Amino acid sequence: MDFPSSLPPSLFMTGPLGLSDVPDVSFMCSWRDALTLPESPPQASENGAPHLAKGLLWEPDTPGPLPLLPPGPDPWDPGLTARDLLFRGGYHFRRQPRAVLDVTEQLSQFLWDHGDIAFAPLGKLMLENFKLEGAQALYFLIHFCPWAYLSYRQRRFSILGGPVLATSLARLLGELLHEELAARWEQLLLDDAFTGGALAWVPGRMPGAGQLVYPAGGALDRLSRGPDFQKVSLTPGSEPRVLGDPGHIQLRGPVRQVVTRTVQGEGKAHRHLRPLLTDLLPDHNPDLLCPSALLAVRSDYHCALWKVGKPGQPAPLQVLQVEKGATGISLSPHLPGELTVCSRSGAVCLWNPQDGPSPPHGWPVSPRLRQVYKDPETLVFRDPSPWRWADFTAHPRVLTVGDRTGVKLVDTQGPPGCGLLLFRGGAEASCQKGERVLLTQYLGDCSPESLQPTFHLVCTQFSLYLVDERLPLVPLLKWNHGLSSTPVVAQLLPPPRPGCPRPLLLAGQAGELQLLHITGEGASTPRLAGPPQSLPSRSNSLSAFPLLEPKSQWRLQERLSAPTIGLAATVLPSASTPVLSLFQLSAAGDVFHQRLHLQADPRPDSPAPTASWTPRATSRCSRWLKTLLEVPLTPPMWAAPTFSHRRLLGSFESREVEGKVPEGLRTAMAEGRLLQHRDLGLLPTREQPPAPEPGPEDELSERLEAAWEGQVAAWWERRQGGSSGPGKQPKRHKRRTQLSSTFSSLSGRLDLSDATSPPRSPDRTVPEARPQPPVTPPSQELTQGPWAEGIPSERQQTLRDYMAELPLQGDTPGGASAPSSQTSSIRGTSSRQQTLRDCTVKLQLRGDTAGGASMPSSQTSSVRATLSRQQAAILSGSQPLRKKPRMGF
Amino acid sequence: MSDFSEELVRPTTEDEQGETCVLSGTGMCFPWLQKHIETVGKTLVATGGKREKDFAQTTSACLSFIQEALLKHQWQQAAEYMHSYLQILEDSDSNKRQGAPEIIWRLGSEILYYHPKSSLETFNTFADRMKNIGVMNYLKVRSDLCDGGLFSSLWQISLQHALYLLHHGLLEDANRNLSQAETWRYGEKSSSKEVLINLIQAYKGLLQYYTWSKKKMELSQLDEDDYAYNTASQNMLNHSWKTSINLCALIQIPGVWDPFVKSYVEMLEFYGDQDGAREVLTNYAYDEKFPSNPNAHIYLYGFLKRERAPREKLISVLKLSIEKNMILHRKKEEHHKLGLEVLFGVLDFAGCTKNITAWKYLAKYLRQTLMGSHLAWVQEEWNSRKNWWPRFHFSYFWAKSDWKDDKTLACEKALVAGILLGKGICFIFFFSGHGF
Repeated sequence: MDFPSSLPPSLFMTGPLGLSDVPDVSFMCSWRDALTLPESPPQASENGAPHLAKGLLWEPDTPGPLPLLPPGPDPWDPGLTARDLLFRGGYHFRRQPRAVLDVTEQLSQFLWDHGDIAFAPLGKLMLENFKLEGAQALYFLIHFCPWAYLSYRQRRFSILGGPVLATSLARLLGELLHEELAARWEQLLLDDAFTGGALAWVPGRMPGAGQLVYPAGGALDRLSRGPDFQKVSLTPGSEPRVLGDPGHIQLRGPVRQVVTRTVQGEGKAHRHLRPLLTDLLPDHNPDLLCPSALLAVRSDYHCALWKVGKPGQPAPLQVLQVEKGATGISLSPHLPGELTVCSRSGAVCLWNPQDGPSPPHGWPVSPRLRQVYKDPETLVFRDPSPWRWADFTAHPRVLTVGDRTGVKLVDTQGPPGCGLLLFRGGAEASCQKGERVLLTQYLGDCSPESLQPTFHLVCTQFSLYLVDERLPLVPLLKWNHGLSSTPVVAQLLPPPRPGCPRPLLLAGQAGELQLLHITGEGASTPRLAGPPQSLPSRSNSLSAFPLLEPKSQWRLQERLSAPTIGLAATVLPSASTPVLSLFQLSAAGDVFHQRLHLQADPRPDSPAPTASWTPRATSRCSRWLKTLLEVPLTPPMWAAPTFSHRRLLGSFESREVEGKVPEGLRTAMAEGRLLQHRDLGLLPTREQPPAPEPGPEDELSERLEAAWEGQVAAWWERRQGGSSGPGKQPKRHKRRTQLSSTFSSLSGRLDLSDATSPPRSPDRTVPEARPQPPVTPPSQELTQGPWAEGIPSERQQTLRDYMAELPLQGDTPGGASAPSSQTSSIRGTSSRQQTLRDCTVKLQLRGDTAGGASMPSSQTSSVRATLSRQQAAILSGSQPLRKKPRMGF
Repeated sequence: MSDFSEELVRPTTEDEQGETCVLSGTGMCFPWLQKHIETVGKTLVATGGKREKDFAQTTSACLSFIQEALLKHQWQQAAEYMHSYLQILEDSDSNKRQGAPEIIWRLGSEILYYHPKSSLETFNTFADRMKNIGVMNYLKVRSDLCDGGLFSSLWQISLQHALYLLHHGLLEDANRNLSQAETWRYGEKSSSKEVLINLIQAYKGLLQYYTWSKKKMELSQLDEDDYAYNTASQNMLNHSWKTSINLCALIQIPGVWDPFVKSYVEMLEFYGDQDGAREVLTNYAYDEKFPSNPNAHIYLYGFLKRERAPREKLISVLKLSIEKNMILHRKKEEHHKLGLEVLFGVLDFAGCTKNITAWKYLAKYLRQTLMGSHLAWVQEEWNSRKNWWPRFHFSYFWAKSDWKDDKTLACEKALVAGILLGKGICFIFFFSGHGF
């Protein structure tokens, strides 16, 4: 373990992040690292740089990785994306684009979708404070608050309580939603659950055979199965073979990290030295040097240790519960079975399952734990992240403890808290502003081949640092990795050939893979040997799949670009060229495999060869795809709430006797088929189905029609003139608006009939009153009139329920946030009336949802006044009254 | 839009180089945030007109093409993209225009370094052009705000160019390059500039040291009575004077300066300035402002050894250097005990488990200590190790593998294990099976 006889020169600045007044002198390009200062005066050389292997290149066999195992039977949902969270409108006049969470839309959508959740608990809370006469009514109100239209009293309450409920609700909900959205957004930007990777390769006895350990089951973040053990056989010349079905271990939590470490010399020696599990081992193998491995698994709140012996099922050793949540686990490379576990509380424990007395069978209850470090604060400066990481060092009793701000060496034998900083997020490492540690790893293992066992890797979102624990604070190597996502896993591999540099793999969450070559034998400093290389990612494999129809294609694309959560690699010894076998695990649970071989004869002037798909590869992809498409899609996370219509129907059944009940309608409704005029027992007034007219948004067919007739220019002119001309419907009106206008026209008619009857109290008539939409052509009204005729009130209710469920997205924000001043200015233009009408629909149907929520009662009454005025105008207008009033509210 | 989102996500310093990196509410910077924002669409807003916006998008796309090609080792293609990327020097955004030379240098030098058809001449031409552009940029801007950055990039280009030349054996050219860079001292003096100037000078000094040591080699081959010897030594003296001026300024600044310190001390020693050398080395090893550097202690130890310093002093320097590594802080005075402590400490490290010398000495010291009935010393060291050394050093696996690889090592280890653990353990069992 020699120390490099001379280290590369570097300035040592102390200070905070981003103090880049003095430039980063020592590290700029990958080639700069090759230019360490010569020990002795350099001799003039002819050409080319010394010390640098120019053609060190791993060539992929196929342009992308191939699926190794068939896709799991469970559907996978990609989850939230930035598109779901961010405000879509542009923030103009800003130099920098900024991310703004779209709370308004989310909140209104939430209120629409989960009205019951949003309102019912509030009602329940308020129940005690209300001593109203109609306890029954209140009960109803509470349970159906957003749909409190059942009686006038309830509606009145809704209008009265609107302002109070609205503000408190909006505040409460807003806060909660904000918290949730912010947390989701942070998680989307940086998901540290899978740091360290959830895929591990356990080498078997024969070179090239081994087991892959990974969490399986569709939703890794729901209850999932524990690690799967898949035996795989690798041969240098061909694709890996999967041997048999994987073995499962059922767990009760999602697996976040899987770590393995081979334990050598299992057997008698251990029995003598109070070994791990002598009692638990089913068959004690007399073979002294059979390689067995330890397998540590981290779940959100549990850590567990297994022992993977040669035959059969892995044997469980111990389980540890981490109350605050575990963030990292690592296995000691020095002492078999020793682990470190980090918790969100800032504690780091040394876990030594074999120190404790192990019960004869089952899960041992009390693991031997020793807290070696605890600090809820971060190391260097204050950072809110509770993420902690711990790993081992070249000294078996010294650990590294890392958080977002730095990495510290902690002596477990010394007094608590003693130690010194190994890496400091700051000027010492020329860190940028906003730079944070995302991954740290001890790179030493038991085999001191070609690299010192004292190196640690520290990854931030910008750079990769190589630190020697003997030279704290001064990174020996810094390289800007340029990954476009969080670095999740790093793995240092043994040299493919003796004397070759060691490959270091770095995987980003978005699927990017980078391969660096690190040398540093004996007394020379570690440096990059040759330029770093990017390896194909899973999305590069898209071309190997057959072309699909867009929906399936999109699904495949989404699946291939699922986040990477695990990486395992192994170098196969081969006679001719070393082969690198690379396994990737995606969040969808897919295991992909890629083979790379070291370029046999690196000729610098030859262009980088390009791999192509073999027929075997494409057929494998097709098979995989076929299985994937057979997997059913994820059921929607949420479906529109269904209300107890049946109950309502049942309770109102008796009232149906009044008036003429069209049986045809009833059966049509019951059967859910199209309502026809003959069902109503009426002569059709016009042969037009009640389907919405092709709206202005249906420009395409219009234009095509015009084009077919060779009159595009005329059409265009007409359109240009039309859209700018007054009285024309704005084109942004969607079919939904038409639907809602259909609906309001329907209720308007009913209210009209009310108006002709003797005057009632305004409260009874007005909220239901709708102006006749002047924008809708009368013909449509006429055809739709009969459609609504003769419908019993209860059914109308149901119908209205249905209508109300239709999302009125186009106008929702306007309606939801219309302030009082706007409400009064709404009158007048026809398009505004349209908005108003939508607003009223909501106001009525959801007494205290968003629409009504932001309108205090005074405004509501002004709206009401407007409505009645409009109604009067309509009454005096030329609209013919077609039908006798039947019923109203 | 509610206010909190403004707080939650705010952009990074808007005046800084227009990086596509945005800080989040936690103060963390996400280089991939831009990508997320772009998926939402419509938010890519830039000042200026459409043309500027389009150009910004095109240049960033071009940059990513270059980076991709570099990572795929497609040098030819990268060079072609680079050719287009040079247009960024014409960017109307002055911030971007100023940052451009640095990016161009970084990527361009990388391409030229690996490109199969590039030569020393191409590289030189490229570096000189970049330096010209840098100077021209400075003359255009001439504001104090940006000259620091401009100069640092200029000096970096010079420094890297010089190193490139050095590695091709062109010491003269490298020296000329650095001298040229030294002359760019416009604008106000600032501490960061001073540091850079010192750095440039130190590298120059190092180049001069190389020449000096070459001359020293020649001198050692000459006869002392020769006439030529005098001239040569006079020559060297001049050289060393210039060099020491160049080197000593940088060595005072906190940092890792191993090659500089080594060459400086070598020259001082050659001319008999032992005190000066000792001061430099002591300062380098013990100054608190410097990072803890094991080499500094090794250099000091080597120097003291050459100076034939007393044994106590040597051991204390050695011990300190090990303690620096081990984070163990204990104070003991006795010579023998110190040795034991050091040996145990050394064997704690994973990289030293197979160090035969350490095991040999440990066995010897253990025997001596026990014969001198200082059992407590051993006990003290052993207590903290007894629960993990057996697994770490004396497992059956190690016994077998040591026996296979190095029988002497296995024997020494067995001896130590026998002393420390008694004869009952498997490690000894293994050896008893092999005729011990």
